[in-house]
Order: sequence, then C-alpha cells, then structure tokens
Amino acid sequence: MFVRAGVRTPTHNNCDNRAACGVMTEVRTDPTIAERVAASTPEPLARRVRGLSDRAIAWAFIGPTVGLLLAINIFPLLWTVYLSFTNYRANRPNEEILWIGTRNYERVLTDPDIWAAMQATAHFVVWTIVLQTVLGFGLAWLIDRKFRGSAFWTTIILIPMMLSSAVVGNFWKFLYQPQIGLFNYVVSFFTGIDPSSFDMIGSVTLAPWAIVIVDTWMWTPYVMLICLAGLRSIPDYIYEAAEVDRASPWRQFWSITLPMALPFIMLAVLFRGIENFKMFDLVVQLTGGGPGSITELTSINLKREAFEKWRTGYSSALAVILFVAVFGLANIYVKALNRVKQR
Amino acid sequence: MSSVELQHISKRFPTVAALSDVSFTVRDHEFFVLLGPTGAGKTTTLRIIAALLKQDEGSVLFDGEAVDGLTPADRDVAFVFQQYSLYPTMTVYDNLAFPLRSPMRKTPEPEIKERVQHAAEILRITHLLDRKTARLSGGEMQRVSIGRAIVRQPRIFLMDEPLSNLDAKLRESLRVELQHMQKTQGNTTLFVTHDQIEALTMADRIAVLDHGRIIQIGAPADIYDRPATTFVATLVGTPRINLFTAARENGTYFVANSDLHLPMPGDRAMPQQVQVGLRPEDVKITPGGRFTGVVALTEPLGVETILHIRSGQQTLLSILPGITPLRRDDPVRFDILHERLHFFDVDGKRV
Ligand SMILES: Nc1ncnc2c1ncn2[C@@H]1O[C@H](COP(=O)(O)OP(=O)(O)O)[C@@H](O)[C@H]1O
Ligand SMILES: [Mg+2]
Repeated sequence: MFVRAGVRTPTHNNCDNRAACGVMTEVRTDPTIAERVAASTPEPLARRVRGLSDRAIAWAFIGPTVGLLLAINIFPLLWTVYLSFTNYRANRPNEEILWIGTRNYERVLTDPDIWAAMQATAHFVVWTIVLQTVLGFGLAWLIDRKFRGSAFWTTIILIPMMLSSAVVGNFWKFLYQPQIGLFNYVVSFFTGIDPSSFDMIGSVTLAPWAIVIVDTWMWTPYVMLICLAGLRSIPDYIYEAAEVDRASPWRQFWSITLPMALPFIMLAVLFRGIENFKMFDLVVQLTGGGPGSITELTSINLKREAFEKWRTGYSSALAVILFVAVFGLANIYVKALNRVKQR
Repeated sequence: MSSVELQHISKRFPTVAALSDVSFTVRDHEFFVLLGPTGAGKTTTLRIIAALLKQDEGSVLFDGEAVDGLTPADRDVAFVFQQYSLYPTMTVYDNLAFPLRSPMRKTPEPEIKERVQHAAEILRITHLLDRKTARLSGGEMQRVSIGRAIVRQPRIFLMDEPLSNLDAKLRESLRVELQHMQKTQGNTTLFVTHDQIEALTMADRIAVLDHGRIIQIGAPADIYDRPATTFVATLVGTPRINLFTAARENGTYFVANSDLHLPMPGDRAMPQQVQVGLRPEDVKITPGGRFTGVVALTEPLGVETILHIRSGQQTLLSILPGITPLRRDDPVRFDILHERLHFFDVDGKRV
C-alpha cells in the first residue's frame, strides 16, 4: 500500500494519542474503516474522511445507489399506486386531479376486455412454459449424451435466442404467409393440407398458437441451456453407483436425473414465466394483438389504455393489480424453489 | 460369493499407463487388500472389476468364468466409492434401500426394511435414516456408502478406501466391525487402501501396487517380514524401517558416515553394494550392546517411545516399551537382530 508522508499508517504505534502508551497493550483494536480509507487517499480528501464513523462511510458508499433506486424505481411505483386512485389523464395535465377511491379497480376487474386479455396471457404463458420446458429439457438431455459434434449442434440451437425479438416477429410474419410462407408449406408437406387454406396470423383460432410457436422457437434454446447446466452438474460417479446398484436407465432418469435437475428446470420456468407474463414486442410485431384482440396480451392492453386512450388512472390500477399478482406468484414460486433446492 | 481373478490386466489413459500386466486372485471368502500410494491404480483396478471401465488387455474372471462382456448390473458387485456417490435427493433410508429395490432383485419391502435396519445398526447410522444425504458430514456419508453395499449379497465387495474420511476412533471401530462381518458372513472382499495399518490388520492377503504394477502379493506377515523391495519395506510399518546404503568392507557391510558394521549373511552370494533395511523394533537398546550411539530425539507415545539414535552422521530409529528416562544427547548402547536384517540390491530388489 502506498502511504503518503504525514498520513499516519494504522500500523504505527501512535504513542502521542494513546492513553495507555507506556503499557504496551497486547490487544490492538483494528483501525476504523475511516482510518484505513484515509491512509490510502490523497491528503486533502483524507483530512475530510478521517473523522467519519464506520457507519457514515458505509452510507457514503451505498448512498448513490440507494438514491438512484429510490428515484427511478421506488418513487414511480408509489406514484403509480397514487395515480390508480385518481382520474388523472396524462394527456390533460392541466385538469384537476380528483381522488376517486377504488373506482378504477372496480372498473378494471369488471371489464370483460381485461379478462379476455388475462385469458390470452394465461394461454400464452402456460403453453410456452410447457412446450419450452419439455422441448428444452429434451434437447439438453440429448446434447448431454456428448455425441460427436454436440458442441456444434449446441451453437446452432442457440441461434434463435440471439436474435432480436423485433426481427424474429417480422420474419415469422413472412414464414406464416399463407401462399408464400415456409411454415404453411412445411405443414402442407407433412399433412397434405393446402397451404393457402389456413392463415396462422389471420385466423382467430390459430393466432394464439402462432405466437406460442414463435416464442417457443425463440426461447427453447434458453431453457435448454439452463437444463444443460443442471444435467452437467450431476457427477458421473452417481450414475456409476446407480449402475452398480442395478438401476435401469429408466429408473436412473426418474430417481437421479430428474430430481437433481429439478431446481434448474424450475429456475428456467420462473424466468420464462416472468418474461412471458410481460411479453410485448414479439407479439406486437407479429400480430399487433389481432385478429380483433385475440392475441392482445395484458401488457399490450395496458399500453393501449395508458398511451393510446390515455386513461392514466385506470391503467395505473391495472398495472398495480398485475404487479401484485406477479409479485405474489413469483414469491410463492421462489419459496417452492428454495424448498426443492434444500433437499 | 465368488472368487475373482484378474489375468494380465493393462489399462492406459492418454497420459499415463494406469495398470500394467496386473494379475491376482481374490479367493472365495477372502479378505484381500490392495495396498498402494495415491495414483498407484487402485481405483482403476476396482472400476475394471465392476465393469465401469474397460481394460485394454487381459481378462477378469468370476469363479473361473470370463465376465468381460458383462455390464456392471450383471456382474453383481457391491462398490463402496471413494467419493461416496450417494443419491443426494434421497433420504439415507432410500439410499440404503436403492439397490434392493432394483427390479432385478425384487426384494419384498419388509425384508428391505429389515436389512436396512440391520446395516444401519452395524454402522451406527440408525438416527440418520430419515435425513437427506446432502447435508451429512463426510464420515456419515462414508458410512451410508458402506451401508449401501452391505445391505446386498453380491458376488464380491469392492471397497475403495472406505475408512479414509473417518476420524481415528470411528475408523478403528469400523475396521473391527468390517472384519467381523467379513469373517462371520464369509464375504469375498477386495479392499483398497493406502493405509498400511488397515492393510496389515484386516487382510488375509495383501497385494502391493505401485505405478500400476503389482510389486508383491502375500499374507501380512510375508509383506512385513519379507518385503520384496525397498518400496514395500518402507510402505509398511510405522515407524518407518531404517534403510541405509552399505558397502562390503572386511567381510562386513559398512554403513557410510556411521559407526555401523553390519554382519553379512553367509548363506548366499552378496553384492558389493547393498541397501540394508532394519525395522525399529529389531534395534534393541541394551547396556551391553555391541553398537554405540547418541540419543538425537525421543518421541514418547505412551505405550512405546520412538528413539532416534545418531551413529556418526546417520540416524536410526528404535522402539522402547513405555516412556523412557533417556534424554537428548544421552549415550546409548544397542544390539541389532542379525537374522532380521533385510538386504536389497542397489535397485531395491531383495537379495
Ligand atoms: N479417467 C482418467 N483419465 C485419465 N487418467 C486417469 C483417469 N483415471 C485415473 N487416471 C490416472 O491413472 C492413474 C491411477 O489412478 P487411480 O486408479 O485413481 O489411482 P489410486 O486410486 O490408486 O489413487 C493416476 O495417474 C490417474 O491420474
Ligand atoms: Mg483411488
């Protein structure tokens, strides 16, 4: 450590300011953080720092972060909660803001459009999670066989995940084209159905599945990656023990592979669940919420209410409801996850 | 239970020849110990017997029949792994019951319970049965791992340093327990260790392994009293054997830089240069002893004292019963039991 002249290093015996100087005490108190900081700081700053208590130094370090967090996270959150009890409209800032109690919440919860959006979201979230987990785990399991070229295939499989969702939304729109789209052509190749007889994006029954398919195509690699980490964390010698103990491959899978990879799978489900609950960009690019409002997920609905219809109070109430719901679910889930991890 | 024979087994890894031409037979009901330092190839040998690893050359026989084509399940061995290999998501009970629940064995659940209980009592882990294995201590895991083997009735027990992670007390008591179990049930056991005390106390026969080669096979007394090489001589016995290089001089072997003139055996042709081995218990401190020396250090252990005696610039160890009044720099006289001298040539081979 570089020590400037005149700055007392903590290792010196500072006899001048120790009461018990004559008696060499064996117990030496550690220098305070302030002293240590001062010792390694240029003199002008050191003079200011030296007198501070440990607690003050600690605050000086975390203060900026806490301040920033308050300003851009906590304050807007509280402000949103406040606005949800008012009739405020952001496009009419000069109008008087009226406190209207829980009327916004009543409106949100009785609005059939909201419930339709919730249903669309639930359909989307549940099916993407199910498909991505099953496919992702399956792929990870295959890749983990460590066959020749498995590293190459891993890279190939990861590509969709690396693309931007705006790009993905856009080119899947073309893939879904009834006449020229590759998707329809492939489906027709395998099933014999006329490719122009169905329209993934335009059809009310198919559009919810269209977004599920694209999201699954894009994010299965991500789930695969996490599951692969889980599978790789299982040491070989456990399988060797199982083999000596005469467990069939089937039994090894159910009693070793799956339980040991479970925390990883659950983590992937959590990440994908949170991510897809707030899904916006991909679906907007792909279907724009249509046809009608069949694929209008809550986040899209929320954006429309807030920034197209400018019902700020109303959309704040919706946002608060969504926040509480996601927060609550995530909390319960994380508790379950921790229990699984601690086995 | 079966006999297990290894015939000319060799195994090479990319960077090292782990086993070279290893042959030995574990007889039915025998407690056979494979003794060697770390990296000798002990684990590799066990893995080949269990079919977890395929040998490059040679053949493994159970009861005289080659089993080279059989899978680990078909060979029906019990393996206590060096790194425990417990199933971390299961309870101790389920770990112990796991091999019994194999469809290939079809043990009824009450019998499983009985056997698990019995094994748990022997290993003193009854109180752990409901615990998950992930948070057990090393010694507890080790015992569960032994338990998972002894609930079974395999053709052979393969144990890879099963006592190495236990504290001294537990190791001693489990050593006795394992021996007792093996003797009463007549289990064929191949026990791997780097600890010479375990080998000497437990084994019916010992094979000493070094750098993938069998150096010597024999009963503990053979290994101890007639070590085939200086490596074996230094590997077994604590305190360590005294080993000096000596050269012929006027019909005796003279240990350089010392006052030691050792007698030459007259019954065989002896080389000019030898290494002489002398176990500490064969150096007798007596008032009328032929040799003289000075006490360099005493290590009182209670039941005995290890005495370091300086003779010239050489130091040799001796053992005295109880605690000695001798102090550093005291002069001592001692005798050497001539018939107990071990002679090795310069390459370390016994002559
Ligand atoms: N899977 C492996 N790949 C490469 N080298 C190995 C492997 N397993 C063991 N070895 C090497 O083979 C030698 C013998 O190892 P091992 O049988 O584990 O020794 P021991 O059990 O006696 O300590 C060592 O040099 C070790 O590094
Ligand atoms: Mg080993």
